[in-house]
Amino acid sequence: MLIPCPFCGERSESEFIYGGPVGADRPDPNTVSDAEWVEYLTVAPNPLGPVHERWWHARGCGEWLAIWRDTRTHDIVEAPDDSK
Amino acid sequence: MSYDVEIVRQGLNALFDLKGKPAAIQSWAGDVLPTWPERPNSRSGQDAVELYHIGRNHWIARAALDQEVKLGEHLRPTDCPADISIVQVSDTLTFFRVTGPHADEVMSIACPLDFHETEFSEDAVTYSELFSLKALVMRCKGGFEFAVEQSFGDMVEDYLSRATA
Ligand SMILES: [Zn+2]
Repeated sequence: MLIPCPFCGERSESEFIYGGPVGADRPDPNTVSDAEWVEYLTVAPNPLGPVHERWWHARGCGEWLAIWRDTRTHDIVEAPDDSK
Repeated sequence: MSYDVEIVRQGLNALFDLKGKPAAIQSWAGDVLPTWPERPNSRSGQDAVELYHIGRNHWIARAALDQEVKLGEHLRPTDCPADISIVQVSDTLTFFRVTGPHADEVMSIACPLDFHETEFSEDAVTYSELFSLKALVMRCKGGFEFAVEQSFGDMVEDYLSRATA
């Protein structure tokens, strides 16, 4: 897999380290329910389809980036229309 | 198979790690550094000092070891303003040269970069990986030059000799 780095361009996946899913924004712990807080802390997105991931160009320029990757094909894809 | 290459491990270089906005570093360093390499992962050089653009707002200045004191006096790492960072890193990297007719083939054993000239030009310099270790990679006369962390020097020397035996 080639991952597009904003500084270096497309580079081999082996130069990168997976940085986890791009999760929801941190809610205010004082205004959400316990269930919502636990959901935020512990439940990672696991869709069948495009998933938003962080990668670190560790053996490269050091940049952090986020990509959408389709879990069915492993292709790096455009952000889905409803992602924002 | 054996390869027609020469592999030479080099002595130390004078190296300074520079971080910050180019204008801020320039105004601090004055004319001791060469013209700024604008494109990502490119290099520039004048006189004895070379400058490598290896990350966003991140450069490495390189010179011969006997220039280290003079360069340090110009760059004054310990006195630099808070919006930039200058760190002397001369003894952190060990450099190798791989030259000869099969230099690109040997580099391709160790590194995922495309070493064709159209993809990896004369003035290219970039961090990548060599035998899975972070490495600074560039061209030199007749082949390629790369640097790995000093402590991996012996291991990489061994890997290269086994890969080319
Ligand atoms: Zn990069």
